[in-house]
Amino acid sequence: MVLTTPGPGPAGRSTRTGRKHLGGLVLAALALLTGCSGGTSQSVSTALEDSSSAVATARIALRQDMDGKLTRAAASTTLDDELKEIQTSRSTVLKLSPATQEERETQKQALDVLDQCAAGFATARAALAANDGGAPSVSDGDKALAGAQDALKQLEGKVVSP
Amino acid sequence: MKRLLGVALGILTAIGGFVDIGDLVTNAVVGSRFGLSLVWVVAVGVVGICLFANMSGRVAAASGRATFEVIRERLGARAGLANLAASFLINLMTVTAEIGGVALALQLASSVYYLLWIPVAALAVWLVVWRVRFTIMENVTGLLGLTLIIFAVALFLLKPDWGMLAGQLAPAVPEQETVWTYSYYAIALFGAAMTPYEVFFFSSGAVEEGWTVKDLLQERINVLVGFPLGGLLSVAIAACAAVVLLPAGISVTSLSQVVLPVAEGAGKIGLALVLVGIVAATFGAALETTLSSGYTLAQFFGWSWGKFRRPAEAARFHLAMIVCLLVGIAVLATGVDPVLVTEYSVVFSAIALPLTYLPILIVANDPQYMREHVNGRVVNVLGMVYLVIILVASIAAIPLMIVTGAGS
Repeated sequence: MVLTTPGPGPAGRSTRTGRKHLGGLVLAALALLTGCSGGTSQSVSTALEDSSSAVATARIALRQDMDGKLTRAAASTTLDDELKEIQTSRSTVLKLSPATQEERETQKQALDVLDQCAAGFATARAALAANDGGAPSVSDGDKALAGAQDALKQLEGKVVSP
Repeated sequence: MKRLLGVALGILTAIGGFVDIGDLVTNAVVGSRFGLSLVWVVAVGVVGICLFANMSGRVAAASGRATFEVIRERLGARAGLANLAASFLINLMTVTAEIGGVALALQLASSVYYLLWIPVAALAVWLVVWRVRFTIMENVTGLLGLTLIIFAVALFLLKPDWGMLAGQLAPAVPEQETVWTYSYYAIALFGAAMTPYEVFFFSSGAVEEGWTVKDLLQERINVLVGFPLGGLLSVAIAACAAVVLLPAGISVTSLSQVVLPVAEGAGKIGLALVLVGIVAATFGAALETTLSSGYTLAQFFGWSWGKFRRPAEAARFHLAMIVCLLVGIAVLATGVDPVLVTEYSVVFSAIALPLTYLPILIVANDPQYMREHVNGRVVNVLGMVYLVIILVASIAAIPLMIVTGAGS
Protein backbone atom coordinates (compact mmCIF):
# COMPACT_ATOMS: atom_id res chain seq x y z
CA MET A 1 0.00 0.00 0.00
CA VAL A 2 1.46 3.31 -1.01
CA LEU A 3 0.45 6.14 1.23
CA THR A 4 3.22 8.34 0.04
CA THR A 5 2.42 10.91 -2.55
CA PRO A 6 5.37 13.20 -2.89
CA GLY A 7 4.19 16.63 -3.81
CA PRO A 8 6.26 19.60 -4.64
CA GLY A 9 6.09 20.40 -0.91
CA PRO A 10 8.85 20.68 1.59
CA ALA A 11 11.23 18.50 -0.40
CA GLY A 12 13.07 18.22 2.86
CA ARG A 13 14.24 14.76 1.84
CA SER A 14 16.71 16.18 -0.60
CA THR A 15 20.10 16.22 1.08
CA ARG A 16 21.67 18.26 -1.63
CA THR A 17 18.95 20.87 -1.28
CA GLY A 18 20.12 21.69 2.21
CA ARG A 19 23.68 21.75 1.04
CA LYS A 20 22.71 23.97 -1.85
CA HIS A 21 21.13 26.46 0.56
CA LEU A 22 24.40 26.70 2.46
CA GLY A 23 26.45 26.61 -0.73
CA GLY A 24 24.14 29.21 -2.22
CA LEU A 25 24.65 31.49 0.75
CA VAL A 26 28.41 31.19 0.43
CA LEU A 27 28.29 31.80 -3.32
CA ALA A 28 25.95 34.75 -2.85
CA ALA A 29 28.32 36.24 -0.29
CA LEU A 30 31.27 35.74 -2.62
CA ALA A 31 29.32 37.22 -5.54
CA LEU A 32 28.45 40.24 -3.42
CA LEU A 33 32.06 40.69 -2.40
CA THR A 34 33.46 40.31 -5.91
CA GLY A 35 30.66 42.05 -7.75
CA CYS A 36 30.08 38.99 -9.92
CA SER A 37 26.72 37.51 -10.82
CA GLY A 38 25.91 33.88 -9.92
CA GLY A 39 26.74 31.42 -12.70
CA THR A 40 23.69 30.01 -14.44
CA SER A 41 25.84 27.34 -16.09
CA GLN A 42 27.20 26.21 -12.74
CA SER A 43 23.73 25.91 -11.21
CA VAL A 44 22.30 24.15 -14.28
CA SER A 45 25.27 21.81 -14.38
CA THR A 46 24.82 20.84 -10.71
CA ALA A 47 21.07 20.38 -11.20
CA LEU A 48 21.70 18.12 -14.19
CA GLU A 49 24.30 16.07 -12.27
CA ASP A 50 21.88 15.58 -9.37
CA SER A 51 19.12 14.62 -11.77
CA SER A 52 21.37 12.14 -13.58
CA SER A 53 22.12 10.51 -10.23
CA ALA A 54 18.39 10.37 -9.44
CA VAL A 55 17.43 8.85 -12.80
CA ALA A 56 20.27 6.31 -12.62
CA THR A 57 19.09 5.29 -9.13
CA ALA A 58 15.50 4.91 -10.31
CA ARG A 59 16.61 2.75 -13.25
CA ILE A 60 18.57 0.44 -10.94
CA ALA A 61 15.51 0.15 -8.67
CA LEU A 62 13.25 -0.66 -11.63
CA ARG A 63 15.68 -3.25 -13.01
CA GLN A 64 15.95 -4.86 -9.57
CA ASP A 65 12.14 -4.88 -9.37
CA MET A 66 11.91 -6.60 -12.76
CA ASP A 67 14.57 -9.12 -11.67
CA GLY A 68 12.62 -9.85 -8.47
CA LYS A 69 15.43 -8.49 -6.29
CA LEU A 70 13.57 -5.55 -4.77
CA THR A 71 10.21 -5.38 -3.01
CA ARG A 72 7.52 -3.05 -4.34
CA ALA A 73 7.68 -1.03 -1.12
CA ALA A 74 11.42 -0.41 -1.48
CA ALA A 75 11.13 0.27 -5.22
CA SER A 76 8.31 2.80 -4.82
CA THR A 77 10.10 4.51 -1.90
CA THR A 78 13.23 4.80 -4.02
CA LEU A 79 11.26 6.32 -6.89
CA ASP A 80 9.57 8.78 -4.54
CA ASP A 81 12.93 9.84 -3.08
CA GLU A 82 14.47 10.35 -6.50
CA LEU A 83 11.45 12.20 -7.88
CA LYS A 84 11.96 14.70 -5.06
CA GLU A 85 15.54 15.18 -6.27
CA ILE A 86 14.23 15.97 -9.75
CA GLN A 87 11.66 18.39 -8.33
CA THR A 88 14.37 20.12 -6.31
CA SER A 89 16.63 20.43 -9.36
CA ARG A 90 13.75 21.78 -11.45
CA SER A 91 12.89 24.32 -8.79
CA THR A 92 16.54 25.44 -8.62
CA VAL A 93 16.75 25.92 -12.40
CA LEU A 94 13.38 27.65 -12.52
CA LYS A 95 14.48 30.22 -9.95
CA LEU A 96 17.61 31.21 -11.85
CA SER A 97 17.83 34.69 -13.37
CA PRO A 98 19.80 34.26 -16.59
CA ALA A 99 21.57 37.39 -17.75
CA THR A 100 22.24 36.56 -21.40
CA GLN A 101 20.34 35.01 -24.30
CA GLU A 102 22.65 31.99 -24.15
CA GLU A 103 21.90 31.47 -20.46
CA ARG A 104 18.17 31.81 -21.10
CA GLU A 105 18.43 29.12 -23.78
CA THR A 106 20.37 26.85 -21.40
CA GLN A 107 17.74 27.34 -18.70
CA LYS A 108 14.93 26.48 -21.11
CA GLN A 109 16.68 23.35 -22.38
CA ALA A 110 17.36 22.24 -18.81
CA LEU A 111 13.72 22.73 -17.82
CA ASP A 112 12.58 20.72 -20.87
CA VAL A 113 14.88 17.84 -19.96
CA LEU A 114 13.88 17.92 -16.31
CA ASP A 115 10.21 17.84 -17.35
CA GLN A 116 11.03 14.79 -19.45
CA CYS A 117 12.62 13.21 -16.34
CA ALA A 118 9.53 13.98 -14.26
CA ALA A 119 7.32 12.43 -16.97
CA GLY A 120 9.56 9.34 -16.94
CA PHE A 121 9.15 9.10 -13.17
CA ALA A 122 5.37 9.46 -13.51
CA THR A 123 5.30 6.51 -15.94
CA ALA A 124 7.54 4.41 -13.68
CA ARG A 125 5.50 5.17 -10.56
CA ALA A 126 2.25 4.43 -12.37
CA ALA A 127 3.72 1.10 -13.48
CA LEU A 128 4.70 0.16 -9.94
CA ALA A 129 1.35 1.26 -8.54
CA ALA A 130 -0.67 -0.60 -11.22
CA ASN A 131 0.70 -4.00 -10.21
CA ASP A 132 -1.78 -5.81 -12.51
CA GLY A 133 0.36 -6.43 -15.56
CA GLY A 134 -1.48 -3.72 -17.51
CA ALA A 135 -0.09 -0.58 -19.09
CA PRO A 136 2.20 1.08 -18.37
CA SER A 137 4.55 -1.78 -17.52
CA VAL A 138 7.69 -1.44 -15.44
CA SER A 139 9.60 -1.90 -18.66
CA ASP A 140 7.74 1.12 -20.13
CA GLY A 141 8.80 3.11 -17.08
CA ASP A 142 12.41 2.08 -17.58
CA LYS A 143 12.27 3.05 -21.25
CA ALA A 144 10.86 6.48 -20.37
CA LEU A 145 13.64 7.00 -17.84
CA ALA A 146 16.26 5.76 -20.31
CA GLY A 147 15.09 8.43 -22.75
CA ALA A 148 15.35 11.07 -20.03
CA GLN A 149 18.80 9.82 -19.09
CA ASP A 150 20.02 10.19 -22.69
CA ALA A 151 18.60 13.72 -22.88
CA LEU A 152 20.31 14.59 -19.60
CA LYS A 153 23.65 13.30 -20.85
CA GLN A 154 23.40 15.28 -24.08
CA LEU A 155 22.62 18.47 -22.23
CA GLU A 156 25.32 17.84 -19.64
CA GLY A 157 27.79 17.62 -22.51
CA LYS A 158 26.67 21.03 -23.76
CA VAL A 159 26.55 22.79 -20.39
CA VAL A 160 30.10 22.95 -19.14
CA SER A 161 30.36 24.45 -15.70
CA PRO A 162 33.07 27.10 -15.36
CA MET B 1 32.23 -21.41 29.95
CA LYS B 2 29.79 -18.79 31.19
CA ARG B 3 32.55 -16.19 31.11
CA LEU B 4 33.49 -17.21 27.58
CA LEU B 5 29.88 -16.84 26.46
CA GLY B 6 29.78 -13.44 28.13
CA VAL B 7 32.87 -12.35 26.20
CA ALA B 8 31.43 -13.66 22.90
CA LEU B 9 28.12 -11.90 23.54
CA GLY B 10 29.96 -8.69 24.41
CA ILE B 11 31.97 -8.82 21.19
CA LEU B 12 28.93 -9.59 19.04
CA THR B 13 26.94 -6.73 20.58
CA ALA B 14 29.88 -4.38 20.11
CA ILE B 15 30.04 -5.32 16.40
CA GLY B 16 26.28 -5.05 15.90
CA GLY B 17 26.07 -1.85 17.92
CA PHE B 18 28.98 -0.12 16.20
CA VAL B 19 27.11 1.04 13.12
CA ASP B 20 24.49 3.78 13.44
CA ILE B 21 22.77 6.10 10.98
CA GLY B 22 25.87 8.32 10.85
CA ASP B 23 28.10 5.40 9.82
CA LEU B 24 25.52 4.06 7.37
CA VAL B 25 24.94 7.34 5.55
CA THR B 26 28.48 8.74 5.65
CA ASN B 27 30.12 5.52 4.49
CA ALA B 28 27.61 5.11 1.66
CA VAL B 29 28.02 8.74 0.56
CA VAL B 30 31.80 8.43 0.68
CA GLY B 31 31.79 5.08 -1.16
CA SER B 32 29.59 6.45 -3.94
CA ARG B 33 31.74 9.53 -4.43
CA PHE B 34 35.27 8.62 -3.38
CA GLY B 35 35.34 4.83 -3.71
CA LEU B 36 37.54 3.34 -1.01
CA SER B 37 40.04 6.18 -0.97
CA LEU B 38 38.87 7.30 2.49
CA VAL B 39 39.02 3.89 4.18
CA TRP B 40 42.14 5.02 6.01
CA VAL B 41 39.97 7.54 7.91
CA VAL B 42 37.72 4.72 9.15
CA ALA B 43 40.85 2.94 10.41
CA VAL B 44 42.05 6.09 12.20
CA GLY B 45 38.58 6.62 13.70
CA VAL B 46 38.24 3.02 14.90
CA VAL B 47 41.63 3.14 16.65
CA GLY B 48 40.57 6.41 18.26
CA ILE B 49 37.22 5.16 19.52
CA CYS B 50 38.88 1.99 20.84
CA LEU B 51 41.42 4.10 22.70
CA PHE B 52 38.95 6.48 24.33
CA ALA B 53 36.11 3.99 24.91
CA ASN B 54 38.57 1.72 26.67
CA MET B 55 39.80 4.68 28.72
CA SER B 56 36.32 5.77 29.76
CA GLY B 57 35.33 2.18 30.58
CA ARG B 58 38.41 1.95 32.78
CA VAL B 59 37.47 5.22 34.52
CA ALA B 60 34.00 3.82 35.25
CA ALA B 61 35.29 0.44 36.44
CA ALA B 62 38.07 1.90 38.61
CA SER B 63 36.08 4.74 40.16
CA GLY B 64 32.62 3.17 40.08
CA ARG B 65 31.36 6.41 38.54
CA ALA B 66 30.53 7.52 35.01
CA THR B 67 33.03 9.63 33.11
CA PHE B 68 30.85 12.72 33.04
CA GLU B 69 30.39 12.72 36.83
CA VAL B 70 34.13 12.53 37.34
CA ILE B 71 34.80 15.25 34.74
CA ARG B 72 32.34 17.58 36.50
CA GLU B 73 33.98 16.94 39.87
CA ARG B 74 37.58 16.94 38.66
CA LEU B 75 37.49 19.88 36.24
CA GLY B 76 34.85 22.02 37.93
CA ALA B 77 31.51 23.38 36.79
CA ARG B 78 32.81 25.70 34.05
CA ALA B 79 34.85 23.10 32.14
CA GLY B 80 32.09 20.59 32.79
CA LEU B 81 29.52 23.00 31.36
CA ALA B 82 31.46 23.42 28.10
CA ASN B 83 31.66 19.65 27.86
CA LEU B 84 27.95 19.32 28.69
CA ALA B 85 26.82 21.94 26.18
CA ALA B 86 28.81 20.46 23.31
CA SER B 87 28.02 16.83 23.95
CA PHE B 88 24.36 17.40 24.81
CA LEU B 89 23.62 19.39 21.64
CA ILE B 90 25.41 16.85 19.45
CA ASN B 91 23.50 14.12 21.28
CA LEU B 92 20.22 15.84 20.59
CA MET B 93 21.06 16.09 16.88
CA THR B 94 22.04 12.44 16.87
CA VAL B 95 18.82 11.37 18.65
CA THR B 96 16.91 13.22 15.92
CA ALA B 97 18.93 11.61 13.15
CA GLU B 98 18.56 8.10 14.62
CA ILE B 99 14.78 8.36 15.04
CA GLY B 100 14.60 9.67 11.49
CA GLY B 101 16.74 6.71 10.40
CA VAL B 102 14.34 4.23 12.04
CA ALA B 103 11.42 5.93 10.27
CA LEU B 104 13.16 5.93 6.87
CA ALA B 105 14.01 2.23 7.20
CA LEU B 106 10.41 1.45 8.13
CA GLN B 107 9.22 3.42 5.10
CA LEU B 108 11.48 1.28 2.90
CA ALA B 109 9.95 -1.85 4.42
CA SER B 110 6.34 -0.69 4.25
CA SER B 111 6.14 2.30 1.82
CA VAL B 112 4.20 4.15 4.53
CA TYR B 113 5.52 7.72 4.61
CA TYR B 114 8.39 8.15 7.06
CA LEU B 115 6.81 11.09 8.91
CA LEU B 116 4.03 8.74 10.07
CA TRP B 117 6.62 6.39 11.55
CA ILE B 118 8.42 9.06 13.58
CA PRO B 119 6.02 9.19 16.58
CA VAL B 120 5.84 5.39 16.55
CA ALA B 121 9.64 5.11 16.62
CA ALA B 122 9.98 7.71 19.38
CA LEU B 123 7.26 6.04 21.48
CA ALA B 124 8.99 2.68 21.08
CA VAL B 125 12.29 4.23 22.20
CA TRP B 126 10.65 5.70 25.28
CA LEU B 127 8.90 2.42 26.17
CA VAL B 128 12.13 0.44 25.90
CA VAL B 129 14.07 3.01 27.93
CA TRP B 130 11.33 2.97 30.54
CA ARG B 131 10.55 -0.76 30.77
CA VAL B 132 13.30 -2.97 29.36
CA ARG B 133 16.35 -4.03 31.34
CA PHE B 134 19.66 -2.48 30.27
CA THR B 135 21.42 -5.71 29.29
CA ILE B 136 18.43 -7.04 27.35
CA MET B 137 18.07 -3.75 25.51
CA GLU B 138 21.77 -3.67 24.61
CA ASN B 139 22.05 -7.33 23.63
CA VAL B 140 18.88 -7.55 21.53
CA THR B 141 19.60 -4.46 19.43
CA GLY B 142 23.30 -5.34 19.14
CA LEU B 143 22.61 -8.92 18.02
CA LEU B 144 19.91 -7.87 15.53
CA GLY B 145 22.29 -5.20 14.25
CA LEU B 146 24.63 -8.04 13.30
CA THR B 147 22.41 -8.68 10.28
CA LEU B 148 24.20 -5.71 8.73
CA ILE B 149 26.93 -8.25 7.96
CA ILE B 150 24.80 -8.70 4.83
CA PHE B 151 26.72 -5.72 3.42
CA ALA B 152 29.91 -7.82 3.53
CA VAL B 153 28.08 -10.87 2.14
CA ALA B 154 26.53 -8.79 -0.65
CA LEU B 155 29.96 -7.42 -1.53
CA PHE B 156 31.19 -10.97 -2.20
CA LEU B 157 28.01 -11.85 -4.09
CA LEU B 158 28.49 -8.81 -6.32
CA LYS B 159 31.75 -10.41 -7.50
CA PRO B 160 33.67 -7.13 -7.79
CA ASP B 161 37.05 -6.74 -9.41
CA TRP B 162 39.01 -7.12 -6.17
CA GLY B 163 42.20 -5.79 -7.73
CA MET B 164 40.44 -2.58 -8.76
CA LEU B 165 38.86 -2.24 -5.31
CA ALA B 166 42.23 -2.74 -3.64
CA GLY B 167 43.65 -0.11 -5.96
CA GLN B 168 41.15 2.42 -4.55
CA LEU B 169 42.49 1.95 -1.03
CA ALA B 170 45.35 4.41 -1.57
CA PRO B 171 44.42 7.87 -0.29
CA ALA B 172 43.77 9.94 -3.41
CA VAL B 173 41.32 12.62 -4.52
CA PRO B 174 39.14 11.33 -7.41
CA GLU B 175 39.25 13.38 -10.61
CA GLN B 176 35.69 14.75 -10.30
CA GLU B 177 36.17 15.84 -6.66
CA THR B 178 38.28 18.55 -5.03
CA VAL B 179 40.77 18.29 -2.21
CA TRP B 180 38.33 20.34 -0.10
CA THR B 181 35.39 17.95 -0.48
CA TYR B 182 37.78 15.04 0.12
CA SER B 183 38.96 16.66 3.37
CA TYR B 184 35.40 17.55 4.38
CA TYR B 185 34.23 13.95 4.05
CA ALA B 186 37.37 12.71 5.80
CA ILE B 187 36.31 14.80 8.81
CA ALA B 188 32.70 13.60 8.52
CA LEU B 189 33.84 9.96 8.52
CA PHE B 190 36.13 10.60 11.48
CA GLY B 191 33.26 12.28 13.36
CA ALA B 192 30.94 9.36 12.53
CA ALA B 193 33.43 6.83 13.91
CA MET B 194 34.22 8.83 17.07
CA THR B 195 30.75 10.16 17.96
CA PRO B 196 30.93 11.41 21.56
CA TYR B 197 27.75 9.65 22.73
CA GLU B 198 29.45 6.29 22.25
CA VAL B 199 31.94 7.11 24.99
CA PHE B 200 29.38 8.54 27.41
CA PHE B 201 27.05 5.62 26.84
CA PHE B 202 29.89 3.17 27.24
CA SER B 203 31.01 4.56 30.59
CA SER B 204 27.50 5.10 31.95
CA GLY B 205 26.59 1.60 30.76
CA ALA B 206 29.54 0.27 32.75
CA VAL B 207 28.02 1.81 35.88
CA GLU B 208 24.55 0.51 34.95
CA GLU B 209 25.97 -3.01 34.67
CA GLY B 210 28.04 -2.64 37.84
CA TRP B 211 31.47 -3.19 36.31
CA THR B 212 34.46 -3.43 38.62
CA VAL B 213 38.16 -3.69 37.88
CA LYS B 214 37.62 -7.46 37.57
CA ASP B 215 35.62 -6.79 34.40
CA LEU B 216 38.36 -4.72 32.78
CA LEU B 217 39.71 -7.62 30.72
CA GLN B 218 36.30 -8.40 29.26
CA GLU B 219 35.68 -4.72 28.60
CA ARG B 220 39.03 -4.48 26.79
CA ILE B 221 38.30 -7.54 24.65
CA ASN B 222 34.83 -6.20 23.76
CA VAL B 223 36.30 -2.90 22.63
CA LEU B 224 39.48 -4.10 20.96
CA VAL B 225 37.80 -6.94 19.04
CA GLY B 226 34.19 -5.74 18.63
CA PHE B 227 34.83 -2.17 17.48
CA PRO B 228 37.40 -3.01 14.75
CA LEU B 229 35.06 -5.70 13.40
CA GLY B 230 32.28 -3.09 13.47
CA GLY B 231 34.66 -0.83 11.54
CA LEU B 232 34.95 -3.55 8.88
CA LEU B 233 31.16 -3.38 8.51
CA SER B 234 31.53 0.35 7.81
CA VAL B 235 34.10 -0.43 5.12
CA ALA B 236 31.75 -3.03 3.60
CA ILE B 237 29.00 -0.37 3.33
CA ALA B 238 31.41 1.98 1.52
CA ALA B 239 32.66 -0.86 -0.70
CA CYS B 240 29.12 -1.86 -1.74
CA ALA B 241 28.42 1.75 -2.73
CA ALA B 242 31.76 1.93 -4.56
CA VAL B 243 30.96 -1.21 -6.57
CA VAL B 244 27.33 -0.49 -7.55
CA LEU B 245 26.64 3.24 -7.21
CA LEU B 246 29.95 4.92 -8.13
CA PRO B 247 30.18 3.42 -11.66
CA ALA B 248 26.54 4.44 -12.31
CA GLY B 249 27.33 8.07 -11.38
CA ILE B 250 25.04 7.96 -8.33
CA SER B 251 25.76 10.18 -5.33
CA VAL B 252 23.97 8.93 -2.21
CA THR B 253 21.39 11.38 -0.85
CA SER B 254 18.82 8.98 0.61
CA LEU B 255 18.65 5.78 2.63
CA SER B 256 16.87 4.01 -0.23
CA GLN B 257 20.07 4.30 -2.28
CA VAL B 258 22.13 2.76 0.54
CA VAL B 259 20.26 -0.57 0.34
CA LEU B 260 20.30 -0.93 -3.47
CA PRO B 261 23.77 -2.58 -3.62
CA VAL B 262 22.61 -5.20 -1.09
CA ALA B 263 19.49 -5.97 -3.15
CA GLU B 264 21.70 -6.15 -6.25
CA GLY B 265 23.97 -8.75 -4.67
CA ALA B 266 21.68 -10.66 -2.33
CA GLY B 267 18.16 -10.05 -3.65
CA LYS B 268 15.04 -9.81 -1.49
CA ILE B 269 16.48 -11.92 1.35
CA GLY B 270 19.42 -9.56 1.50
CA LEU B 271 17.04 -6.61 1.42
CA ALA B 272 15.02 -8.03 4.31
CA LEU B 273 18.16 -8.62 6.37
CA VAL B 274 19.59 -5.19 5.67
CA LEU B 275 16.29 -3.52 6.66
CA VAL B 276 16.21 -5.51 9.93
CA GLY B 277 19.82 -4.49 10.50
CA ILE B 278 19.20 -0.81 9.78
CA VAL B 279 16.13 -0.69 12.03
CA ALA B 280 18.05 -2.48 14.81
CA ALA B 281 21.16 -0.31 14.40
CA THR B 282 19.29 2.99 14.29
CA PHE B 283 16.83 1.97 17.01
CA GLY B 284 19.70 0.77 19.22
CA ALA B 285 21.55 4.03 18.61
CA ALA B 286 18.35 6.00 19.31
CA LEU B 287 18.15 4.24 22.68
CA GLU B 288 21.81 4.95 23.39
CA THR B 289 21.65 8.61 22.42
CA THR B 290 18.41 9.15 24.34
CA LEU B 291 19.97 7.57 27.41
CA SER B 292 23.20 9.52 26.84
CA SER B 293 21.21 12.77 26.83
CA GLY B 294 19.74 11.82 30.19
CA TYR B 295 23.12 10.65 31.49
CA THR B 296 24.99 13.84 30.58
CA LEU B 297 22.38 16.15 32.10
CA ALA B 298 21.81 14.07 35.24
CA GLN B 299 25.51 13.50 35.85
CA PHE B 300 26.30 17.20 35.44
CA PHE B 301 23.50 18.43 37.70
CA GLY B 302 23.92 15.63 40.22
CA TRP B 303 20.44 14.12 39.70
CA SER B 304 19.67 10.55 40.50
CA TRP B 305 20.15 8.58 37.26
CA GLY B 306 20.28 5.13 35.74
CA LYS B 307 18.05 2.44 34.35
CA PHE B 308 18.97 0.29 37.34
CA ARG B 309 16.81 2.68 39.39
CA ARG B 310 13.03 2.71 39.14
CA PRO B 311 11.78 5.69 37.04
CA ALA B 312 10.18 7.23 40.13
CA GLU B 313 13.59 7.26 41.82
CA ALA B 314 15.22 9.03 38.84
CA ALA B 315 12.32 11.21 37.70
CA ARG B 316 14.35 14.12 36.31
CA PHE B 317 16.61 11.73 34.40
CA HIS B 318 13.57 10.15 32.73
CA LEU B 319 11.86 13.50 32.17
CA ALA B 320 14.98 14.84 30.44
CA MET B 321 14.92 11.90 28.03
CA ILE B 322 11.23 12.40 27.27
CA VAL B 323 11.88 16.08 26.50
CA CYS B 324 14.77 15.12 24.20
CA LEU B 325 12.54 12.69 22.31
CA LEU B 326 9.85 15.35 21.96
CA VAL B 327 12.40 17.83 20.62
CA GLY B 328 13.58 15.20 18.12
CA ILE B 329 10.00 14.59 16.96
CA ALA B 330 9.38 18.34 16.66
CA VAL B 331 12.50 18.86 14.54
CA LEU B 332 11.63 15.97 12.23
CA ALA B 333 8.01 17.10 11.97
CA THR B 334 9.22 20.24 10.17
CA GLY B 335 10.05 17.99 7.22
CA VAL B 336 13.81 18.39 7.56
CA ASP B 337 15.62 15.55 5.85
CA PRO B 338 16.89 13.00 8.43
CA VAL B 339 19.80 12.19 6.12
CA LEU B 340 20.77 15.85 6.11
CA VAL B 341 20.51 15.98 9.93
CA THR B 342 22.77 12.93 10.03
CA GLU B 343 25.36 14.49 7.76
CA TYR B 344 25.48 17.65 9.86
CA SER B 345 25.50 15.71 13.14
CA VAL B 346 28.65 13.78 12.23
CA VAL B 347 30.47 16.97 11.22
CA PHE B 348 29.37 18.79 14.37
CA SER B 349 30.49 15.73 16.34
CA ALA B 350 33.95 16.25 14.88
CA ILE B 351 33.83 19.91 15.93
CA ALA B 352 32.96 18.98 19.53
CA LEU B 353 35.45 16.13 19.85
CA PRO B 354 38.16 18.01 21.83
CA LEU B 355 35.62 19.02 24.48
CA THR B 356 34.72 15.37 24.96
CA TYR B 357 38.04 13.60 24.73
CA LEU B 358 40.46 16.00 26.45
CA PRO B 359 38.65 15.73 29.83
CA ILE B 360 38.61 11.94 29.56
CA LEU B 361 42.37 11.91 28.99
CA ILE B 362 42.87 14.17 32.03
CA VAL B 363 40.65 12.09 34.31
CA ALA B 364 42.21 8.81 33.14
CA ASN B 365 45.57 10.15 34.35
CA ASP B 366 44.33 11.16 37.82
CA PRO B 367 45.53 8.64 40.44
CA GLN B 368 42.98 10.02 42.91
CA TYR B 369 40.21 8.36 40.88
CA MET B 370 42.13 5.72 38.98
CA ARG B 371 44.64 4.51 41.60
CA GLU B 372 46.92 1.96 39.85
CA HIS B 373 44.69 1.99 36.77
CA VAL B 374 45.92 5.33 35.40
CA ASN B 375 46.92 5.47 31.72
CA GLY B 376 50.21 3.85 30.80
CA ARG B 377 52.83 5.69 28.76
CA VAL B 378 51.87 4.12 25.42
CA VAL B 379 48.19 4.98 25.92
CA ASN B 380 49.10 8.55 26.84
CA VAL B 381 51.31 8.98 23.77
CA LEU B 382 48.52 7.63 21.57
CA GLY B 383 46.03 9.83 23.41
CA MET B 384 48.14 12.92 22.73
CA VAL B 385 48.52 12.01 19.06
CA TYR B 386 44.75 11.65 18.83
CA LEU B 387 44.19 14.95 20.59
CA VAL B 388 46.22 16.65 17.87
CA ILE B 389 44.20 14.85 15.14
CA ILE B 390 40.95 15.72 16.90
CA LEU B 391 41.97 19.35 17.26
CA VAL B 392 42.92 19.65 13.58
CA ALA B 393 39.61 18.02 12.52
CA SER B 394 37.67 20.27 14.87
CA ILE B 395 39.29 23.49 13.65
CA ALA B 396 39.07 22.56 9.95
CA ALA B 397 35.46 21.35 10.00
CA ILE B 398 33.57 24.66 9.77
CA PRO B 399 35.83 26.35 7.17
CA LEU B 400 35.60 23.21 5.03
CA MET B 401 31.84 23.11 5.47
CA ILE B 402 31.63 26.69 4.13
CA VAL B 403 34.13 26.25 1.31
CA THR B 404 32.49 23.06 0.01
CA GLY B 405 28.87 24.09 0.64
CA ALA B 406 28.65 21.20 3.12
CA GLY B 407 30.23 18.75 0.73
CA SER B 408 28.05 19.43 -2.32
